[in-house]
Amino acid sequence: MAGRRTRNINGADVRRSTLARASGIAEQLHYECSTLLELFRKRESFPEDVADGRLVSTPPPSSQLDARDKLWCIHSALLQCQNLLEKATAKEEEELGGGRKGEYENQRKMVKERLSLLILSIGELLKAADGTAVLTPSLEGLELNIPVNLFELKVWVYRIFKEVDYWSKTTITALKDLPSVTVKEGVRTTRARDRRSTRR
Amino acid sequence: MARLSVSPTSKLNSSFVWLLCLVLGFSTMLIHAKTVLTIPQQLRLFPNRDTQELSISWLGGTATTFDLIILRTEFNETVLYETVSPTVNEESGLHQWTWTSVEPLECTSLSVQIRSRDGQSTSEWSYTETLQGKDLPSNKDFQMYPQDRIVPVGANTTFCCIMEEGMVFDEMYYERIVMNVTRLSRRTYSTTVFDQEASRPAGNNLVCYSKNKEKLTGASVFVGYPPLPTDFKCETHDLRSAVCQLNEGRETHFYGKRGTRYFLNKRNCTWLQQGQKEKTCSVDKWEGNWTLVAVNPLGQYSLTDSAELSHRVCPVAPVKLDAIVDAWNATVSWQWEYDSYSSLALVCKVQITNSGDNELTERVFSGVGLRSVFLSDLHPDERYSVKVSCGAQQNFWKWGNWSNPLYFTTKIYVPEAPDVWIWINRDNTGKVIWKPLTRRQSHGKLTHYEVSFWSPEENQTVAPTVSLSPSTLAAPVNLTQIASFGSDKIIAVVTAKNDAGSSPPASVHLHLTSVEPLTVTRIVYTDKGFPLFWESSASATGGYVVEWLDASCSRDCPVEWIKVPAGTTNVSIESDQFQPGIRYNFSLYSCSSDSNELLQRWQGYVQELVPSASLTLSAGQQDSDILLTWREIPLVNRRGFLLGYNIYISNGYQLTLLANLSDAETMSYTIKGLTKGTYKFTVKAYTAAGEDTGTTASVTLEPYTDWLILEILASLGIVTLLLAVVTFACYKKRKWVKKAFYPDIPEPKLPSDWPRAQGPLDVKPSPHSMVRVVEKPEYDCSKEMLVAIPEEDEDDEGQGIGDEPVDTDEPTSLRYYNQVVDEHPIRLRFPDSSTSSVSSMDSAHTDVTYTGIQTSGSSLVLQLDPQGSSEGRQPQLNQSVSYGGGGYRPQMQPRAPSDDMGLASPEPFLEPQATCTGGYKPQCSWHLDSPTDAAERGSLAPSLGSPTSVASTQFLLPDGEEHAGEKRQLSSSAATWFTNLLSSTKP
Repeated sequence: MAGRRTRNINGADVRRSTLARASGIAEQLHYECSTLLELFRKRESFPEDVADGRLVSTPPPSSQLDARDKLWCIHSALLQCQNLLEKATAKEEEELGGGRKGEYENQRKMVKERLSLLILSIGELLKAADGTAVLTPSLEGLELNIPVNLFELKVWVYRIFKEVDYWSKTTITALKDLPSVTVKEGVRTTRARDRRSTRR
Repeated sequence: MARLSVSPTSKLNSSFVWLLCLVLGFSTMLIHAKTVLTIPQQLRLFPNRDTQELSISWLGGTATTFDLIILRTEFNETVLYETVSPTVNEESGLHQWTWTSVEPLECTSLSVQIRSRDGQSTSEWSYTETLQGKDLPSNKDFQMYPQDRIVPVGANTTFCCIMEEGMVFDEMYYERIVMNVTRLSRRTYSTTVFDQEASRPAGNNLVCYSKNKEKLTGASVFVGYPPLPTDFKCETHDLRSAVCQLNEGRETHFYGKRGTRYFLNKRNCTWLQQGQKEKTCSVDKWEGNWTLVAVNPLGQYSLTDSAELSHRVCPVAPVKLDAIVDAWNATVSWQWEYDSYSSLALVCKVQITNSGDNELTERVFSGVGLRSVFLSDLHPDERYSVKVSCGAQQNFWKWGNWSNPLYFTTKIYVPEAPDVWIWINRDNTGKVIWKPLTRRQSHGKLTHYEVSFWSPEENQTVAPTVSLSPSTLAAPVNLTQIASFGSDKIIAVVTAKNDAGSSPPASVHLHLTSVEPLTVTRIVYTDKGFPLFWESSASATGGYVVEWLDASCSRDCPVEWIKVPAGTTNVSIESDQFQPGIRYNFSLYSCSSDSNELLQRWQGYVQELVPSASLTLSAGQQDSDILLTWREIPLVNRRGFLLGYNIYISNGYQLTLLANLSDAETMSYTIKGLTKGTYKFTVKAYTAAGEDTGTTASVTLEPYTDWLILEILASLGIVTLLLAVVTFACYKKRKWVKKAFYPDIPEPKLPSDWPRAQGPLDVKPSPHSMVRVVEKPEYDCSKEMLVAIPEEDEDDEGQGIGDEPVDTDEPTSLRYYNQVVDEHPIRLRFPDSSTSSVSSMDSAHTDVTYTGIQTSGSSLVLQLDPQGSSEGRQPQLNQSVSYGGGGYRPQMQPRAPSDDMGLASPEPFLEPQATCTGGYKPQCSWHLDSPTDAAERGSLAPSLGSPTSVASTQFLLPDGEEHAGEKRQLSSSAATWFTNLLSSTKP
């Protein structure tokens, strides 16, 4: 028992550290995405509210959802953001690439890499929460109607950046509510397993 | 009628014919007219929205010109009204004309009508054909046209914004610039951007905002240039394929899919280097002729090249470089990537870089299939890097790329002989010195130096060999000590050693014949150093040594030297150690197998400066002049050749140049003609660079006292001489003097009844003298006074002489005195007078008793003014006192207190203090002449017959002399001056 309890405690520590790391990455992503938005806005002379409306089909995590669902929701949304970002980057390169890489291109690359890290961290949290492998959320409903003309493409790219910004912020908020729940649930799950093993 | 009927029948027929002809002709004309001005039919519009061209076709009959009108449908505004001559399609017979719209064709609907024109005749307008815009009510979207337009730099572009149905237009921006807009239709607004500059890589944006910026739409436009590549050349590296290069040339400002695409011989070119101005495209086979086409949305540009393969060989860089290394050389080898090079005549350049001094050299080698080279003339123990680049030896095209560098270090070797010299102090001590071996001269890390002393006469070493560390550059030597070995010709031998062995010996003679040359020549530094020239010396079989050092150094000096080969008679000396303001001595020695001989010596400065220290100055008075003297500035402080001295006098804050001494050897200067006072002098030494700060000395010029003393002495001598002459003259003429001043007193005339007894004259003072000075027991200087004997007492005696004709009622002596001393008659009074004359004080001291035969007397003897002693003459007493204060007043002075000299006075003088203390008092101390002394002698004899008063040094003047008073005044003044002089000279 003592050994198991020790392992449980260690597992909670790992989860806490994973959660902390995910929060940190989300915060960093939010900061970097804000910078990217600012760079893009300046470059294209866009007003701040140039484009509204969601591109990510996943609804924001409701407070009524449990931790796993919240995590799944965030994970799904971030994956869609990643997908959109990849497409936007590819399209931008196709339309405008070939020149010298400037500050905007570097910042965009940084956001992409940070988003990938955050998705990995959320995936670990998800895995820690229900103990099962993370299923890749469906990308159905993802708006992938890539605009034809360049101005619309720019607006679309900007909307994608705003989506990343929004979901990084949502992730930060969601992860703040998560620690006690996930740890308790983790402990509860462990206890249930203990009980089951005791019955056996 | 018949006729008409008959005739009319024929007439009718002819009229009918005519009418028919007319109708036919008219109808023919009408038919013809209708054929030429046909109303255009089958009007069709073919828009090209990318180029904003509207192609219009119609069937227009035979007409060749047409009127064409284009209207904006909604506002019925005319866009175009023009008479055109369209082309006709011969097959279809359609007329065709193309119109380019300023605005995008999507902006709003356009209506087109055409009519035929023949001169001034026109047909009816055709039906209206409308090109529908995107602002139809059925299309409610918020739109902007044109999208993604690509235009050349400088072009004008018109954009139109179609508002969403029900939306209100606000503004349009081009980048951040608000644009002027024109309304084209109910929902469409347009703006034109003129003379556009090159766009950003992402394209420039034109944004249309709805009211309150609620929504926006926009379009991007790309502005740039068509391609203009340059420098297109093809070459081969592998002797088989072609590699073509070009320079992109002018920036097109198009990127991504709008960027320039290149085609080499109509094949899409695969660029080996992306993102650079220089691009390289590879073709597998050498074709000999190439055409490059550069294409972008604004146009294309073609370049061609043609060449034989052998003329365009550019070898690749050698690989796998290796080296076999020795001390002075190395063999570098490499390999080729292509075997085909084995038969290719190559020329290769080898770049050798010495890591020690970063010296870079290139050497060129050639050969068929060259794979190695021999590098000679390297230096031992040095690190080299070697790179190789090759080209075709025949039909050279260009050098290939450099290989990667190969690094190696040559082996060590014995060091070079050190450069040895000697420095000898005046006391025959010194040191053998040598220059440090550089890394290149060392040929490896030095382990030590060895110094030995060898006697060529005895052919053996005279002292044990000394081993010194590599950092040591001198060995002490004592010539006196070495001379004790029995030979005066000793050679110091120095060798350097490293792990490879010992260097050749370097030797120097210890015996220096350093006879000082007669002159030391001054030399001037130039850009190339100190230029030294000398005459060739036969003794310089071993060349020359030029040695130089700081001239101010005297012992164990840090000396530098350079060895000059024999036959050379000039050299320029340059050194990093040279500093401005330091005097350098240069010595030329000839070197032979026997000795080193000093031939010549120079001195010079790299740059002369002003002296760093001032001279030591002293100033003093010499007679009535001022003498400035100074000591020379120490050599180390001169910092230049002293050219002289400037002497200034300081007037407050300003220095005035007194003199310029151009002789630097001058060490003093005399300033003459100065009046007494305090002066400041500044002496500044100067060199070619200017003056030093100077030294100031202050001196006060005093009057020249020696001369004054001499003048006084001379004056005294003259006076003394004069007195001596006068005395001598008086002595010689004493008879005359006596006669003049002291005539013989006539014998008294005796009455006949007077017995003439023959006997000696009793010279005992008569108690009946006419004048007797009466002493008062108590002395009071202020009350001294002359006491006259009452006349009653004299009467008796007066009877005795009253018969004499020369005698008067008054005593003779008194009359005399009245004449001489004062014009006031002397009135003798009894001592009861309350105010006795001040002058009587003097007579009180005289203490002379006249026997009545005295006819001569001094004013000093008697009371000046007997009346002054009376009450009524009081003011004259004061006058007398005043007189006495201004000149000689011997009679006015009080005597020294003495009981026997005091004169009784019932009344004190009015101003006894003035009388007593003022004026000259010589007689106060002349006691020898005092009456007391005379009285002590107990005789009046000395006073008898004397022409002078015993109390006076003056001669008593004879009576009756004219102007006696004035002369006496002068005489008195002179006597006073002389007396004062004597008095002042007394201690």
